Amino acid sequence: MSFKHAIRAMTGLAMAVVGTGATLAYFEESIPMSLNPLFAKTMADHRAQELVFDRLWFNDAITNELRSRVVQKYQIAEAGRAVEVTLKTGVRWHNGQALTSKDLCFTVKAMLDEGTPSPVADHYREFIVGCDTRGPQTAMIRFNRVLPKPRERLGFPILPASEFTSTAISPDLQFSARPIGTGAFNGKRGLRMVTFDAFANTHHTPQIVQMQLQEGGDPLVQTKTLINNNVQGIVVVPPPQRPDLSASDDVSMKSYDLRSWWYVSVNSNRGALKDNRVRQALNMVLNRNELRQYSIGVKPNDKNSPCEFISGPFIPASPYYNVEVPVLPTANLAKADSLLKQAGLEKLGGRWHSGGQPITLRVGMLASLDHEAPDLLSQVANQLGAAGFDRLTSKISADEWDNTVMAGGSDFDLVIGKWSFGLVEEVNELFHSKGRQNMFRFANAEVDQILQEYEDAVTDTEQRDAYHKLHTVLNRELPYLFLWKLDTKSAWRTEVRGNIVAPYYYFTEIDSWSVEG
Amino acid sequence: MAACLLPFIVPAVITGFIWSLPGDPASLICPPNICGGTAALAERWNLDGGPMQFFLGWMADATTLEFGNSWRLHQGLPVLELLKEAIPTTVSLISVATLVIMAGAVMATRGWLPRRLDPVLRFVGLVPALVLALAGAAAIELTFGFGSFSESGKLARLLIGAAVLGVADGAFTGAALGTRTTFETENQSRYVGIAVLRGEQPLANTWPNVAPSVIGQMRARIIHLLSGAVVVEVVLRIDGLGDLLWGGTLRQDFGVVLAAATLFASVSAVLLVIQAVLETLVALHVRKAPSGVRVSG
Repeated sequence: MSFKHAIRAMTGLAMAVVGTGATLAYFEESIPMSLNPLFAKTMADHRAQELVFDRLWFNDAITNELRSRVVQKYQIAEAGRAVEVTLKTGVRWHNGQALTSKDLCFTVKAMLDEGTPSPVADHYREFIVGCDTRGPQTAMIRFNRVLPKPRERLGFPILPASEFTSTAISPDLQFSARPIGTGAFNGKRGLRMVTFDAFANTHHTPQIVQMQLQEGGDPLVQTKTLINNNVQGIVVVPPPQRPDLSASDDVSMKSYDLRSWWYVSVNSNRGALKDNRVRQALNMVLNRNELRQYSIGVKPNDKNSPCEFISGPFIPASPYYNVEVPVLPTANLAKADSLLKQAGLEKLGGRWHSGGQPITLRVGMLASLDHEAPDLLSQVANQLGAAGFDRLTSKISADEWDNTVMAGGSDFDLVIGKWSFGLVEEVNELFHSKGRQNMFRFANAEVDQILQEYEDAVTDTEQRDAYHKLHTVLNRELPYLFLWKLDTKSAWRTEVRGNIVAPYYYFTEIDSWSVEG
Repeated sequence: MAACLLPFIVPAVITGFIWSLPGDPASLICPPNICGGTAALAERWNLDGGPMQFFLGWMADATTLEFGNSWRLHQGLPVLELLKEAIPTTVSLISVATLVIMAGAVMATRGWLPRRLDPVLRFVGLVPALVLALAGAAAIELTFGFGSFSESGKLARLLIGAAVLGVADGAFTGAALGTRTTFETENQSRYVGIAVLRGEQPLANTWPNVAPSVIGQMRARIIHLLSGAVVVEVVLRIDGLGDLLWGGTLRQDFGVVLAAATLFASVSAVLLVIQAVLETLVALHVRKAPSGVRVSG
């Protein structure tokens, strides 16, 4: 039996190699930490895993419609509390075995297993309660409540039951480095590079034989390497490098719909920042025009700016963005002074004092963001200093960010960061008092109530209305000082054809990609 | 005795050190406030019973070469596999760098290195490994681009790394000038003058006496190279033990750190033993050499 699977696996690889494809080398923001979808942390993880695995359902990169490459049919069951899924036949794993309902239910059970230490799985535990097989290709996934649009919630990648001995999946299993999926490519993580070998399947016909991923390093070196044709693509190009690449005839810039927005998160549980008027004042101290100009290089009157100001937690093109809430492009120091005085602060010797003590703000920024917005941390600190606040600045490593800041254990007053979203721009976890990504444990009953309204909404309109309200309230309460949305751009050599870039997951339509010549 | 204890003491000290760092690997991967299963993970990784339990468990597994898989640095890759790749790399790096400094010592001793070059050597010796390594890294990235981790790219990294190690921080200068001074001082001895009058080569006479000193110097220089290898491997992105040690520490990948540190300690221990053996052999040779000579009067 295993010999048969081995033959099938080899056939898949051979078919791909015999094809007309070529090798595609590209620079990523970082080497993926894990190729196991249960332990995805960074965007580089998500993008790499998209090459190796099939998600149960996904959004079409062009039409935005929900599609699946592995589901034959589905039907809502048990009055909306379950969905019966029938998988396609003939889909094979990279080890040659067939995809069956056993794999689908294994994946669900692995996510539900408390012994699986996965933040990704934790999200699904909130609404999935079980899975039963109903035949070799059919499975019933059950929910703890009626889900209005269950397919939208079932975007998890399927894992092979045959590769695990238990549903308690640990991140240090070899699967994290050498995964087996049903996706277009079979991935292998090395020390400095990840290689993806094409695997032809009934539902995937990759035209590229091998993809090679390396960490990009210095943006200038990446740019030169791409222009010199020593690499075929860069997934994320920082704004300062874009003009050089745009000017090259051999490179085409591609928009990557990452729905990213930048913020300064405010620790509303600390010192003077507990007072909403102080947060309002800080919002007015920031001169966003200058921050944008000095860190990203976009001037106020630049046309087709990749960077637009925002007043709430969505990008301006989002249906959830409330256009009635105005942005603050420039500072208003007089109004800020007035608010600070109302909050009981005193200005002595040009510095703001609270209770007789000078206010010193600890400001941090995720270090990796410095590529996209160089010197933003210094610029923000300078503006706070000019307004009369002492400040201590530090860049935050990725580990400290995960371990301390996101875990709610940091002692920063202000943290500069960026959130990226897919098509579903759900921000509940960021602002709910019990939200998993609520970094300073911001708590507001009104906000919690609005987020519940969003959760309970059945129609798109109800969801949109709830988030419009949320936008207004957040702009008043200011757990974040909202800065801007910044377009994400990729650069690929013109020899790379058909390279449709999917929102968020990037490589969803990898089958259409090819390399000419 | 001290040499034999090193491979046990070093991991014990490191376990104590990394245990005292804030956070733990299980919580880093699965922060308890946003993810269930942290306790299960801590139990799987033997982190739930304190540093002593962890250390003893690790030592027991290590005796059977069972190092497990990397937790965070190269998640999922077997640590033994990482070591198998790293050991030859670091050994090659140190060996080539050792050849560089030995060449310096031999050239200076034989008089092939003109004295007028001494100021230049002294100046070059002042350059820190970090500076040279950064320059080397930039050169490699710009020359090889995406192919900088191809076989040729890796070889270039290794050779540049070895050159940096052999030259920076006074390694070459110290070896050349230090060894020459040692021999020159010894050559002033009366017995060497008598030997020369008898028509013998000075080196044949001085070598048995300076050998312990030269061997000791060489061991110290190789240990120095091992320390420098961490910096060079990290900056030049050479997949050696030093890079594993650094990356593992940053990411609190206990298994990787302990394995790499134990290997470093073992190499140091082996060098200590080799030095002791060589010194003993030289001492025996010196005692044996004047057989048949009688002291009169």
